[in-house]
Amino acid sequence: MEILKQFGINPVLLAAQVVNFLILLFILKKFLYKPILKVLEERRKKIEVSLKNAEAIEKRLLEANQEYEKILNEALEESRKILNQSKEAGIQIMEESKETAARIIQKATEQALEVKKTETGKIEQEVRKHLGALIVLAFEKVAGKAMKKDQKAIIEREVKNLS
Amino acid sequence: MDPDFRRDDRRKHMEHAIVLPPEILGYIKGFPITNTLLVAWITMAVIIVISFLATWKIKLVPSGLQGLFEMVIDFAHTTVYELAGDKKTKVFFPIVMTFFLFILFANFIGLLPGFATIKFHGEPLLRSMNSDLNMTLALALTSAVLTHIFALYYLGIVEYLKKWFTLNPIFLFVGLLELVGEFTKIVSLSFRLFGNIFAGEVVLATISSIFAFVVPLPFYFLEIIVGFVQAAVFMMLTLVFLVLLSEKHAAEH
Repeated sequence: MEILKQFGINPVLLAAQVVNFLILLFILKKFLYKPILKVLEERRKKIEVSLKNAEAIEKRLLEANQEYEKILNEALEESRKILNQSKEAGIQIMEESKETAARIIQKATEQALEVKKTETGKIEQEVRKHLGALIVLAFEKVAGKAMKKDQKAIIEREVKNLS
Repeated sequence: MDPDFRRDDRRKHMEHAIVLPPEILGYIKGFPITNTLLVAWITMAVIIVISFLATWKIKLVPSGLQGLFEMVIDFAHTTVYELAGDKKTKVFFPIVMTFFLFILFANFIGLLPGFATIKFHGEPLLRSMNSDLNMTLALALTSAVLTHIFALYYLGIVEYLKKWFTLNPIFLFVGLLELVGEFTKIVSLSFRLFGNIFAGEVVLATISSIFAFVVPLPFYFLEIIVGFVQAAVFMMLTLVFLVLLSEKHAAEH
């Protein structure tokens, strides 16, 4: 043990250094390793969570984009359908109105014709009514003498029978 | 020339540079206070203050000292984790990390100006902690004792004894060799650290006594590297011993 003496080994000093080390171990464990490892773990968890969140957000964005496109396409189709329908409806309305107009015109023409007919009939009757007297009057003027009452009646009857 | 004179002469000649035992500064109730012990306390104070500063206002977004310590601790923790596994890391990491920080800070603080030059009652007031075998041997003993305590704890007494003693004569011999190896570990751990740092001190003192300006600078750089490497070596060896001894002995054929 001569060598230990040469190196100045002293059990008390050895013990002191061991105690030093244990104190340091205790303090550092409590005030350095624990908080730092805790914060590292916390950060690791946080990063994990945010990465997961980012993934979810990306997925949702993709879904939303798809949804948006789908809705857009549907709307486009719908509008095209509506446009077509309205075109057809327009054409139909036009045709219907044309038909109606034609019918109205035809009806008006018929009515006019009828009116004309009745008017003509009336005028004819009127003319016939007065024709006897007129003929008689003309005859009287031409012959220069008045006609007898029964002669007048005969003429009027004959005129009436003309038609 | 008589040999006594020669030895005296040599001792006198080398005294200012090479003194193996630490100088005793004084006694407190018969308890010797050496300059290396004083430096050990200073080192502890520095580490504790710095770690308090680092974790004083701990934030999720790190900055400054916290970031530095996070980097070191994260690296060491990953290393321990890879070697020791999940369960043992919790126990082994603080021990191993404390060895590293204590030795590293002690080595670096030992390089500061004022060491070996400030005198107190004719003795240097400060001396690099690990240039005293007391300190390194204490660390090595702590390391070894902790290793065996955890081996006992994790293996149980039967498995632990099986590591050294078996009925198979060949393995019994191997086991005995390993038992001797356990004592060698203590010696190698303590003397490696002591030798490196002590040699560094001597080199620096010698170079400084030749020419004190600029010339010692490369040696200071060298000592910074040595200080780091020795701390890392001590830490890694302790870790390996802890892991090896707390594992079950490989099945014998």
